[in-house]
Amino acid sequence: MAKMHTPAMERIEKKNARRKKPVQSTPAYESWKRFKRNPTALIGLAVVIILILIAIFAPLIAPYDYQAQDYLSMMQKPSAAHLFGTDTFGRDIFSRCIYGTRYSLLIALFCTIAAFFSGGLLGIIAGYFGGKVDTIIMRIMDIFQAIPMIMMAMCIVAVLGNGIPQLVAAIMFASMPTMARNNRAAILRVRGADYIESSEAIGVGQFKMIIKHMIPNAIGIMIIYFVGFLAVSILMMSSMSYIGVGLAAPTPEWGLILNDGKAYLTNAPYMTLFPAMMIMITCFAFNLMGDGLRDAFDPRLK
Amino acid sequence: MSENILEVKDLVIHYETDEEVVEAVNDITFTLKKGQVMGLVGETGAGKTTTALGIMGLLPSKVGHVIQGSIKLEGEDLLRKSPREMRDVRGKRISMIFQDPMTALNPVKTVGDQIAEVVLLHNRCSKAEALKRAQEMLAMVGIVPERYKDYPHQFSGGMKQRIVIAIALACEPDLLIADEPTTALDVTIQAQILDMMRKLQKDHGTSMILITHDLGVVAEMCETVAVMYAGQLVEFGSLEEVFDNPKHPYTRALYQSIPSLDKDVERLHVIPGMVSDPSNLPPYCSFFERCDEKCDRCRDFEPWAVEVDPGHVVRCLQYTPEWNGGEK
Amino acid sequence: MAELLLEVKNLKKYFSTPRGMLHAVDNVTFNIEKGKTIGIVGESGCGKSTLGKTLMRLHTATSGQVLYKGADIAAMPLKEFKQKYRSNIQMIFQDPYASLDPRMSVLQLVEEPIRVQNPKMSKSEVTSQAKNMMELVGLAKRLEGSYPHELDGGRRQRIGIARALSLHPEFIVCDEPVSALDVSIQAQILNLLQDLQRDRGLTYMFITHDMSVVKHISDDIAVMYLGQMIEKCKADEIFKHTIHPYSQALLSAIPIPNAHVKHERMVLKGELTSPINPKPCCRFAARCPYATDRCFGEEPVLRELKPGHSVACHFAEQFVKE
Repeated sequence: MAKMHTPAMERIEKKNARRKKPVQSTPAYESWKRFKRNPTALIGLAVVIILILIAIFAPLIAPYDYQAQDYLSMMQKPSAAHLFGTDTFGRDIFSRCIYGTRYSLLIALFCTIAAFFSGGLLGIIAGYFGGKVDTIIMRIMDIFQAIPMIMMAMCIVAVLGNGIPQLVAAIMFASMPTMARNNRAAILRVRGADYIESSEAIGVGQFKMIIKHMIPNAIGIMIIYFVGFLAVSILMMSSMSYIGVGLAAPTPEWGLILNDGKAYLTNAPYMTLFPAMMIMITCFAFNLMGDGLRDAFDPRLK
Repeated sequence: MSENILEVKDLVIHYETDEEVVEAVNDITFTLKKGQVMGLVGETGAGKTTTALGIMGLLPSKVGHVIQGSIKLEGEDLLRKSPREMRDVRGKRISMIFQDPMTALNPVKTVGDQIAEVVLLHNRCSKAEALKRAQEMLAMVGIVPERYKDYPHQFSGGMKQRIVIAIALACEPDLLIADEPTTALDVTIQAQILDMMRKLQKDHGTSMILITHDLGVVAEMCETVAVMYAGQLVEFGSLEEVFDNPKHPYTRALYQSIPSLDKDVERLHVIPGMVSDPSNLPPYCSFFERCDEKCDRCRDFEPWAVEVDPGHVVRCLQYTPEWNGGEK
Repeated sequence: MAELLLEVKNLKKYFSTPRGMLHAVDNVTFNIEKGKTIGIVGESGCGKSTLGKTLMRLHTATSGQVLYKGADIAAMPLKEFKQKYRSNIQMIFQDPYASLDPRMSVLQLVEEPIRVQNPKMSKSEVTSQAKNMMELVGLAKRLEGSYPHELDGGRRQRIGIARALSLHPEFIVCDEPVSALDVSIQAQILNLLQDLQRDRGLTYMFITHDMSVVKHISDDIAVMYLGQMIEKCKADEIFKHTIHPYSQALLSAIPIPNAHVKHERMVLKGELTSPINPKPCCRFAARCPYATDRCFGEEPVLRELKPGHSVACHFAEQFVKE
């Protein structure tokens, strides 16, 4: 026989026999299939889901109130009663880290959305219209980027005081230029595509062109950047809180917990170790997921 | 020693992924004599490039699998060689020219360095000697040798393809595989490149496999022709045999479907349907659905290769005794 | 004299580039008769696609006239063109892989032009018209929900044809519609285009680099070189009595699929340069084997040598073979 039958073919035949009906292969479904095949991306996704669950059910998971001070058990090493140990006020670091998930994820989401709707939108506009509009917007973004992020945050805090809105504003301003640049690139790539020209040829109007053709085709790349930005925001937020220009105590934010423990780095390393690990795991998970999304949406970029 | 430079026998190559198995090459057998030029013709997905990659030992790792068969280069089975040994074979004894000259060159190295690199890799010589050789090669493909210091972007498309050819020929390989070397080029440039390739092939006596979908290019360049369809060699023979006396229904239909410059036809002959999907081939003749000359018996058998004339092999049931058992 | 559908007069399209003005289409003049096919032949970079897109108003002409049934569609405001003429002039694109939005299904792709041009039409009417259109170009009903990435090149090109046809155009610019297709599929598409022309009285401008395809489908042929039209005549005429040296070279460069024809080939020196700030000379002179001082000093104009056969060459008379 000329055509060979191999074990691999049998395996697939069996798999196809199990499938009830052929699934309609939409581009979105193809992307999901690619994502599903990527184990590291799935790990990232799983960790992110766990973190979200932790954030939602924080009051149920945390054994203590995050700001309850207990002067009888100050600076205790990790034990059964206090999994991550306690800080200088006797607060349970485990509970603080759990509640911290809530704050960190939520604020990171706010920051990213804010950056997306400011910088991202400007980028889309710059990319679509091009020419002078593009030049003006992108030069302003360049100026923004030239101001050090920490300095801008300090100014904002100096004028408006500590707080979540101020923090969000600082991170938003700092990340606008990158967001704008990314989205501009995404739109430019789509704008040059042949199918845009072919739609122009049948008379599709400007507005419809953006809504029906450009956004749907650019959205994949935008989601990739969006997820990547969540990780960046968490890092920015924590570092700002750490140096004292972010949130104010006693908010259980990971950066702040780190800040609390920094004076005792040598004799009580657990006070910094655990919040640092939370930050690391979260960013790592978002990055894994982002890379998986990149491969899924854009197999050619690999 | 045999006069055959390459003997491919019963070669089967599959691409295996989690989703599907692509039967890219299904049992092909052919031989190439020393100094001969063979045309490998077929449409997209017919398995031409896979065959070439199989010979080069460059199948994508993990996905591409040689299921069975042998590829003998001057009697040595390439499939039994270690990856390390294959690296010595590639470039030195077999070279390949890829379709797109734009992506085949490294944009950040001078063309002289890129030619010299191959020379250094396979020969014991100094850098200076290698660069001298690079300049000779450039002159050979019709580029001023002084331009060896230039970067790829400073050359036009046709020039880049000349450089790619220079790299492929730098170590004087015994066998050259050219995968659609002129498809990306304009006709007048194609004419230049084909002229040059023919001259170089004659001068050096290099054996060559020319992969193309253009029957005109085959007629100009080749001595033997292999027609591929759905991973099988449906027809193999000398240029004159295959062009003047095509036996396989696919080959015949292919000739009729191209517009001719000498004849006027009102409507073109159409091969119905689509190119067969190599991940879903029937257990009988792959061309069955599109064939004009099929009979009921075709569904019962997988056709096998029949030598209709000396050296002219066709894989179609109508040249076997089984055909008479059926009705036409 | 047949009715003229399109008259192109001294059409120019220049692009400004960092290195100077690129004369993509330079002073091109020709007519297209209703119901006929004009083949535009040339190598990459000769401006044939730019010419097509300028007629479509995807590019705005630098100067010159494009008279469509007497109305100058090159000069009128874009808005007016879109309202009155967009449906009449359509285009089939070269690359069926890139010219269809990958996120739309086959039915959506065919519906889109109908919906855009008839905003008041009911949804069911749009769908039924789109379905008719799919049937007309030979797309099976079961493909309605498929996405372009699932289809082969031939079917994708059928979608492209359906999109162009659904606006009931009179004139279609076919920009290398079969270049990306396999030989066996190419014949299907060429036959479809011919059938549609016969049934609907369409007029085509067929842009290609493939001489045998253009001979098969065209009534008239125009050869372009670096933005200029250098030879123009009936389709049969050019293959029998080629005059311009470039056309001769182009024809002799085509590989013939015949084992016994080993023709003498005229291989040109050098390659196409880009037409940036061209000097006033024959643009082909540098590659022409017959070039003289006059060719380098004076630009030849397209002139009618015999009835219906125009050539832009100073020495055209010498190349006329009887």
